Amino acid sequence: MTEGFGPKIVGEIAGIYISETVVVTWIIMAVFTILAIAVTRNFDKIPTGVQNVVEMLVDAMNKFTAQTMGEDKKGFAPYMGTLFLFLLVANLIGLLGLRPPTADVNTTFALSVLTFVMTIGFGIKSKGIVKYIKSFFEPLPFLVPLNILGELANPISLSFRLFGNIVGGVIIMSLVYGGLATLSGALGLESIPIFQAVIPVALHAYFDVFAGILQSFIFVMLSMVFISGAMD
Amino acid sequence: MFGLVEFNSTFIFQIVNALVIFLVLRHFLFKPVTEMMEKRTKSIEDSFKEAELKTKKSEELKAEYEAKLNEIKEEKNKMIEDATRRAQNRSDEIIAAAQEEADRLAEKARAEIEREKQKMMNELKGEISQLAIGAAEKIIEKDIDENTHKQLIDNFIDKAGETQWQN
Repeated sequence: MTEGFGPKIVGEIAGIYISETVVVTWIIMAVFTILAIAVTRNFDKIPTGVQNVVEMLVDAMNKFTAQTMGEDKKGFAPYMGTLFLFLLVANLIGLLGLRPPTADVNTTFALSVLTFVMTIGFGIKSKGIVKYIKSFFEPLPFLVPLNILGELANPISLSFRLFGNIVGGVIIMSLVYGGLATLSGALGLESIPIFQAVIPVALHAYFDVFAGILQSFIFVMLSMVFISGAMD
Repeated sequence: MFGLVEFNSTFIFQIVNALVIFLVLRHFLFKPVTEMMEKRTKSIEDSFKEAELKTKKSEELKAEYEAKLNEIKEEKNKMIEDATRRAQNRSDEIIAAAQEEADRLAEKARAEIEREKQKMMNELKGEISQLAIGAAEKIIEKDIDENTHKQLIDNFIDKAGETQWQN
């Protein structure tokens, strides 16, 4: 606890440190992959049981993408859907006692850099390089520095918004758990920290569930807006 | 332990991880599910369209059959009418022929009767003339040349008695 709230280093491969964040991400990836294969393997033309839920999920993602980005950019649905599912599970995994991967600035920045690269890439692809560069000179040419700065601020604000929310929750929750353990200790119950039982539920509901779902949604929504904004 | 806000190797890992999970989910989840749903939508649309087409076709067929049926009915009526007319004609013909035959027979009978009457009258005349000659012979006591005078008397009777006998 005294060492700080950064992610633990759990291993080292060829001199590269593997952090807790990466391991939890791999766990999430493995679960996603297994579920996706297991669920879609027995897909039938007439949906039953789990298939209905999966179809609803995919359909919701497709519709949400089409609605936010426009019908012509429906192709982004798989990326945005993946992003949303990953962020949702990553934010909520704190409930299982694991460290959320999104409580690491490397994760959130990696994702926002992907959004940033896509913004530029699809902007140029859609408008053409000349028109894309020209768009920085609008509405007035002397606003170029501001436009560039605004463009660069997007990924930074995007990543730190998510990171801050989640890491804040992690820090507060660990402080609360520590405090409750100390409180239990004061009553002579060091081995059975009884106060940790019910009291953190409301805090979990806010920091993990509410903030987690909201921030996932905001991240995906903003990514969609940035990319489709650059393309139109 | 890494610092709370520290950029390190995790950044590279997470970019790769994000791309990998994107490709995996796109391949195993989003693509097949979307394709499946689109296929289903299409098949439902197709079946609706097919049903519509079949309904339209059946209606066309129904109209066609009804038209055919009407045609047949008309033809039947015409045939019946035709047959009736032919039968009428035939019966008229038969009646006419029978009438003609009856007329002919009646005519023939009448002619026969006429002939018979003529014959009888001639015979009668012959006998009468014979009688007359006989009577005259007796009266004048003189043998008249029968053949010569018979002719004479016949002529007389013909002229004198025709109308009387007729009545």
